[in-house]
Amino acid sequence: MDLVLQLLVNGLVNGSHYALLGLSFGLIFGTTRITHFAYGSLYALSAYACWWVTAKLGLPLVAGFAAGIAAGAAAGLLSYGLLYRPFERAGSPPLVILIASLGLFIVVENAIGIVFGTDTKVVPSPPASLFLVGPAAFTSVQLAQLGALVVIVLGLWLFLSQTRFGRAVRAQTDNPEMATIIGIDTVRLSALVFALGSAIAAVPACLILVKDGGTAYMGFLAVFMGFVAVVVGGIGSLRGAVAGGYALGLVESLGLWKIPSEWQSTIAFVVLFMVLLFRPQGLFAGRQ
Amino acid sequence: MKKLLLGIVALALAGGVVAQSAAGDPKVYKIGAILAMSGQASWYGTVMSQGIKQAVEEINAKGGVNAIPLEAVIDDHKSGNAQEGVSAMNRLLSIHGVKIVLTSFSAPTLAIAPLADQNQVLLLNGGGVSNNLVGASKYIFHNRSLAADLGRAAALHAQSMGAKRMAVLHWKNDAGDNIVRAVQPMWEKGGGSIVAVEAVPQGATNMDTQIAKVRSANPDIVALWMFAPEVGIAVKRLRELGMKQPLIGVEYTANDAKIAGEHGEGYLFINDYFQPSAEFPWSQQFAQGYERRYNAKPEFYAANYYEAVYVVAELLRRARAQGGDYLNGEVLKKALYSNPKFDSVYGGQMVFQPNGVAFKRVGLFKVEGGQNKFQKYIEVR
Repeated sequence: MDLVLQLLVNGLVNGSHYALLGLSFGLIFGTTRITHFAYGSLYALSAYACWWVTAKLGLPLVAGFAAGIAAGAAAGLLSYGLLYRPFERAGSPPLVILIASLGLFIVVENAIGIVFGTDTKVVPSPPASLFLVGPAAFTSVQLAQLGALVVIVLGLWLFLSQTRFGRAVRAQTDNPEMATIIGIDTVRLSALVFALGSAIAAVPACLILVKDGGTAYMGFLAVFMGFVAVVVGGIGSLRGAVAGGYALGLVESLGLWKIPSEWQSTIAFVVLFMVLLFRPQGLFAGRQ
Repeated sequence: MKKLLLGIVALALAGGVVAQSAAGDPKVYKIGAILAMSGQASWYGTVMSQGIKQAVEEINAKGGVNAIPLEAVIDDHKSGNAQEGVSAMNRLLSIHGVKIVLTSFSAPTLAIAPLADQNQVLLLNGGGVSNNLVGASKYIFHNRSLAADLGRAAALHAQSMGAKRMAVLHWKNDAGDNIVRAVQPMWEKGGGSIVAVEAVPQGATNMDTQIAKVRSANPDIVALWMFAPEVGIAVKRLRELGMKQPLIGVEYTANDAKIAGEHGEGYLFINDYFQPSAEFPWSQQFAQGYERRYNAKPEFYAANYYEAVYVVAELLRRARAQGGDYLNGEVLKKALYSNPKFDSVYGGQMVFQPNGVAFKRVGLFKVEGGQNKFQKYIEVR
């Protein structure tokens, strides 16, 4: 029973991480319909910005997080303006844009490795505190992963429901053609969503940097898990992306209670296959 | 008459010079290397290739081997991808015509072994640790202690500490599985029990679930049968999550130490032992040259590949002395076993065993004050 409780805690923490990935990836994908696989390399870039500011410049961790978020937002904006928008303007089919995105992913990933080296980057941070809830243990960084999700979900909900821009984002997510007809500047909005989604992705990236260290290749798993969370939850549903992330985290963790841990990396695929097979619209589609 | 004599002398000298160039001599000795130059484990490729380049530069600065320069042709298996390893081997064979390849990682090395047999290419492995590599090719040799041997040595030390209940966190790949298979029967024969065996995929950063299972098994000691950078992450997370039991493993690189930080204190590990010392001037010369070139202290992986180039140079000298077409695996293999002792940059000599693995002394280390403190030598057989 002690183990189950610990696995449940781990599942919630990992689920929060996947939910943030799903939320940020889903925001971009749901609004712009662009399969932004380069998201993974921008995620890594944000972590590296945080590392640079804290480990190289010696500034506090909070400044590192701010730099990571700013770098993520700028990289997201640039990726849309310099890569995706020209393809959109040329009327390129989604497959071409997807391949271009994969190309950008590889270019940025390798560029990070060449410029900063391929060793694992760590940031100087105070030792993580250990908390015990009965037999279950978790650290302050894991607590921050949970807290970050709550804060970002609340902030994003306020933004989407209370601001003009937020309502325009929802309109474009629901029906891009109608959004254009009623005069929404969808290009400007897409640029904003790329910046916002990438900025949100920077938060889990910086937290993973603090918890496990960062590498140039850390983005692959992030984009994969973000994508699975979105598909499991239902494309176009941000609530679904969060729920999909939690479903993934909990199944992945609790599944190992009886299943040998060597099966861990296949669990996400099994969940994805099951959803695609039995509920291809996602678990929470249509409940935006 | 005087002019005639001078002419005869000149002709004789010219003939002598020509005679020094054997029929099978190439313009340059190309040494292929298939390393992890990109991907998640590219740190290994970086340090290994740096060791190779340094050795090639040093040897060429002294006139090369048999007055022929060496050239390192470095290709990429993209962090252990077997298919990429085969592609790299094909490039080395067809484009560069190499007959000697320095290889790394178990999966790509196993994948290129049939090509080495087919083309009589000598393989020298300084990084792959799987025991399946032994005898994978007729022409494969290893100047890296293999994983199962290191694991057994670590388990022997754990037994001597009085531990009975061992929990294992291991890489889910050939190298990790090999250690699990080698250690478990030995540990149980010694009266111990394995209370948890948790697998971690290579490249995984989140191993909290596995650690939860290890923690709930309440072991006396936790064994880490894995390699960089996962060792550093495992040590950090085990300690952060409150485990105070001794931790023992088979590697702890500078990269691991950076990740683990202060949590690495007390960590025990067995590994190839490279430590420059005044007792062995070559080790100091290598370390100083490496630091000057790359502004970093050499890892033992760099030392292995550096020393491998010198082994190759010695083999080329010996093989050429035999005459004929000496650039093939069969001749080079005979040259190696004609005297299996080679100078080791670690100090003293290493001796290649009949199974192709060089017997080198390995060390038990303990992390103390952020430094890997050597404790004692352990014999690996």
